[in-house]
Amino acid sequence: MTVVVATLAAVVVLLAVLVVGLLRSHAEILRRLHELGAGVYEDDDRPATRPAAATPRAQVTDDPDEIRTRPGVPEPRTESTDVVDLVGSTPQGGAKTVRVAGTTNTTLLAFLSSGCGTCGAFWQAFAGGEADRLPGTDTRLVIVTKGPEAESPAAVAGLAPTTCTTIMSSDAYEAYGVPVSPYFILVDGPTSQIVGEGAAGSWPQVRNLLEQAAADGGMVVDGASLDSESRRRVREGGRQREARADAELAAAGIGPGHQSLYPTAAPGGPSPDAAPADPAAPDARTDAGRTDDGAPAPEPSRD
Amino acid sequence: MRISSEGLAADAPDGWEGEIYVRPPEPASFGRAAGTPVPVLHLANFALPAQRGDYGGGAVELMGRGDLFISLLEHDPAEADTALFALRRVPWPLRESDFAPQQMQRTIAGQSGCQRFFSVRGRAFCLYVVLGSHRMRAMYLSDVNDVLAAIDIA
Repeated sequence: MTVVVATLAAVVVLLAVLVVGLLRSHAEILRRLHELGAGVYEDDDRPATRPAAATPRAQVTDDPDEIRTRPGVPEPRTESTDVVDLVGSTPQGGAKTVRVAGTTNTTLLAFLSSGCGTCGAFWQAFAGGEADRLPGTDTRLVIVTKGPEAESPAAVAGLAPTTCTTIMSSDAYEAYGVPVSPYFILVDGPTSQIVGEGAAGSWPQVRNLLEQAAADGGMVVDGASLDSESRRRVREGGRQREARADAELAAAGIGPGHQSLYPTAAPGGPSPDAAPADPAAPDARTDAGRTDDGAPAPEPSRD
Repeated sequence: MRISSEGLAADAPDGWEGEIYVRPPEPASFGRAAGTPVPVLHLANFALPAQRGDYGGGAVELMGRGDLFISLLEHDPAEADTALFALRRVPWPLRESDFAPQQMQRTIAGQSGCQRFFSVRGRAFCLYVVLGSHRMRAMYLSDVNDVLAAIDIA
C-alpha cells in the first residue's frame, strides 16, 4: 500500500512539473507572437501591459493600424528631414566631410552601429562586396555611425570595409532624425530628395526595399555603385554629362537662347551646315580655341 | 563645412568634400629610422572614393573636366630645413602658369597638375593640385584659390 501511494505521489508530482513546463512554454509563445504583432487588436484594452522601453521604436501604440517592426528593426522615421551634407570624423581619428545634397549621383546612407546585433549582418554584407551593386544612379554607399562619444572608433574601424566611405557623426543621426540603427536612407543627389528609407533584418531585404523605392522614383534599379570598378569606367554619363556640358557652356557665355545655338539660314541660302551667313555674327569659338569673352572654349568631349 | 585635425583646418564649400587623415609611418629599414606619422588633407569638388592614394591615385582617374582635387601632404618635420622646402610661406594663390600636364604624378590626358613644396611654422608640406582640364584652368583657378585660402596651418 505504501509503495502504491508513493508511486502515485511521484506520478502526480511529475505531471505537475510537465503542466507547469507546458504553461511556461505557451506563455513564451504568446509573448513572442505579441512582439511580432499578432493579436494587435486585442491590445486595445490593455495599453498598460505593453512592452516597456527596452525597444522604444517597437512599442505597441493605441493605433491598431500603425506600422510595427520586429524587435531590433527600427520603424520608419516619423518625420521627414532635409537632405544635408555630413561632417564628422573617421574611425582612424581624422576629420571628414561627405557631400550628399546636390551631387550628380545617388547616395545610400547606412546608419549602423558597432554594437547592435542586427547591424552585424550589414557590416558583413558590405565587407563581402554587396556594396558594389546598389539601387540608383552611380550610387555611393556611405556608412554613418554615431560619433566617438557614442561609438568605439576602434570597433568601427575593425568593421568598416576599406572600400566604403565611413564617417562617424552623431550630428548626422540628429539631422536625419535617425534614432536607432540600423537605418537606411537613399538620397537622389541632383534633386536633393530622399527617395527611399527604412530598415530590415538583412541586407537582401533592405536592397529589395530600396530597389522598389528607386523604381518608384524612376531611377536605375540595379546600378553599379560609384566605387565599383565597372562604374568607374562609365562614370561620366547621362545627367552628369548634361549638367557638366551646361555648366561649361554657361561659363563660356553660351546660355539658353544664345544665337550660336540656333543657326539660321535665309530661304534659298546656305544650309545650316554651311559657314555662318554673317561673318560678323558672334561665334562661340575662334581658331584660337577661345570664346569671344576670352574664356577658354570647352574641350571636345572625350566620351 | 569646416574640418580640422592634426593642426590642419580647411573649409569644404558647397559641392566640395574633404578629409584629413594620418598617413601611417614608413617602417624602419636598412638602417633608416621609422618614419613619422604625418597628416594628409584632401579636398575635392567630387565624391572622394574611399580608397585613394596620398596624391589622389584612385580619385584623379575619375575626374571630369570640371573636377578639382587638392592634396596637402605633410612631410617629416625634420625635412623642413632642407632645400626642397626652402619656400617659407604658403604657395597660394596659384597662377595659370603654375599648372602643366607634366606636373601630374601620372600623366592623364587632358588633366593638369601643380606641385609645390614649402614649410610653415617648422612643418614641411607638399601641395599637389589637379585640374580636370588643362585648357580650362583659367575657369577653375579661382575656385582652387578660394579653397586654398581657407586652409589654416597651426
